[in-house]
Amino acid sequence: MKVLIAAAVVTLALPVFLDGKQLGIYVLAGLAAMVTVGLSLLMGQAGQISLGQASFYAIGAYTAGLLSVHGTAPVLGLLAAPVVAAAFAAVVGAGVLRLRGHYLAFATLAMQLILLSVLAQSTWAGGAIGLQGIPRLSVGGFELAEDIQYAYLVWAGLAVVLVVAHNLVRSRPGRGLRALATSEVAAAASGVPVGRYRLAVFTLSAAFAGLAGGIYAFYLGYLGPGSFPVLLSIEYVVMAVVGGLGTLAGGVVGAVAIVLLVQALNELATSPGMPSYAPSVLSYAVYGLLLVVVVLWLPRGIVPALRGKERT
Amino acid sequence: MILRANGLRRSFDGVFAVRDVDLDVAHGELRAVIGPNGAGKSTLFALIGGQLRADAGTVTYDGTRIDRLPPHRRAAAGIAVVFQGARVFTGMTVLENVMVGAHAGTRTGFGAAIARLPRHRREEREIRDRARESLARAGLEDWADRDAGALPLGQQRVVQVARALCGRPRLLLLDEPASGLRAGERARLADLLGELRGEGITMLLVEHDVAFVTRLADRVTVLDLGQVIAEGTPAQIRADDRVVAAYLGATA
Ligand SMILES: Nc1ncnc2c1ncn2[C@@H]1O[C@H](COP(=O)(O)OP(=O)(O)OP(=O)(O)O)[C@@H](O)[C@H]1O
Ligand SMILES: [Mg+2]
Repeated sequence: MKVLIAAAVVTLALPVFLDGKQLGIYVLAGLAAMVTVGLSLLMGQAGQISLGQASFYAIGAYTAGLLSVHGTAPVLGLLAAPVVAAAFAAVVGAGVLRLRGHYLAFATLAMQLILLSVLAQSTWAGGAIGLQGIPRLSVGGFELAEDIQYAYLVWAGLAVVLVVAHNLVRSRPGRGLRALATSEVAAAASGVPVGRYRLAVFTLSAAFAGLAGGIYAFYLGYLGPGSFPVLLSIEYVVMAVVGGLGTLAGGVVGAVAIVLLVQALNELATSPGMPSYAPSVLSYAVYGLLLVVVVLWLPRGIVPALRGKERT
Repeated sequence: MILRANGLRRSFDGVFAVRDVDLDVAHGELRAVIGPNGAGKSTLFALIGGQLRADAGTVTYDGTRIDRLPPHRRAAAGIAVVFQGARVFTGMTVLENVMVGAHAGTRTGFGAAIARLPRHRREEREIRDRARESLARAGLEDWADRDAGALPLGQQRVVQVARALCGRPRLLLLDEPASGLRAGERARLADLLGELRGEGITMLLVEHDVAFVTRLADRVTVLDLGQVIAEGTPAQIRADDRVVAAYLGATA
């Protein structure tokens, strides 16, 4: 509890001391954390993996962007973002979550590839160039124009995600989820509707990603298919695993750690003398290495390792 | 009759595990199911609990067909299972394991839990109380906060018993619940099953320990090679030549 309050205070105070570029990193880390908390819930609590979580981020972003470009109040666009992303997840998940095994991983990966090519070819979505001129978010006449305001919006968004996830984990359905991740047979025999629960947590994780995507759209002001590569989905998986699956703090810690690392790598890869393919090669190599390191030395991820022993 | 199986049949790779089994179990009865290894006892339980689908035949519970229902619906109807293997939820405490068992009779969904509705709080308290009560009955209070996966295998089975009880079942399927227990723990479990019978819970019990079975069971069904070869009171079964040949003879 003390750690939690300290973290809240520090992260609330932090934006005041950051310059423009650092604020950008703060926002991106917070958005990534919102996505990763949901993914960590899906992987750690329900034992399923999604390789297309960035597509829900994209759906949320495009939902908010398209609605507000066409004159809907930006707030409504932001509220619609998680709803539409969740609806997509419900449709995709309903088909594959009944099946045993990791069909969800393939289905979500396929979904993202399809989504990216549809977005790139659709004029209504701005095609490959993307969606331009998304207005700033405004709430009741108050417009969020400064980066620092978006930093606080992200803070609030992450807080909502964490409260929702926390409430879920410590509840009847939350126990059902954790139970089915270890023994599907025994969970079902205890009355847990395994398929429905999996679908619900998958849908919820998509809603988190969609909300993050909605904030992203207003923060950036433009969107393109290139902002949501498959690599981003892999990044979320790495964040969740590195932070520690099944712990909410793990999602946040993993996301922040990777965003900072990627930032450092980018500086390195774009420094003079580096070949043009350096950024992508470096990031893939580092993800691979990181996964190996975590699996070998911190199999439960950073947060559980810091806590020293298992706690759920 | 609370449970009626008719012509139940299930094979694996062309070999029958359960073959044309008929079974009638009366309300409140404690029915033992015995038979040599591989006789089909666990398969029969899985067909009743819903873990396996039958190739043919029907299962009627409380007058309604349940053989097409998924297992969680059968649990909601009042059927609880204690599996032969270790099937506790590792990484969760013993208390949490038992609380999962209350799923059957409770309702809080994702929305109510996330919104922390008063209804959720009330039910959460009720589930916790019920789980503590079930733990106490199974003699596991002292283990409540341990990781269930860290318990000895015998105790893990007792956790399953407590988990099953927490759902307030009307039909309890127990697949070798006493194996791996020491004599004292075994006696304690036998006492508990006796109490449950006194409360009117119908039970199906698979157990290799003949003394354990004869002390508790109202009636005994003997399976061999997937078929029912005898059925009757414990005394009748002990006197049955086919049973002695197929089963008791081998161990006595
Ligand atoms: N999932 C399965 N796949 C293939 N064969 C199976 C499966 N489950 C059971 N069998 C086979 O079905 C037969 C009956 O098995 P079952 O487990 O029901 O016996 P049992 O009476 O419970 O035995 P035990 O006393 O050893 O627990 C055995 O020959 C077994 O090998
Ligand atoms: Mg068996």
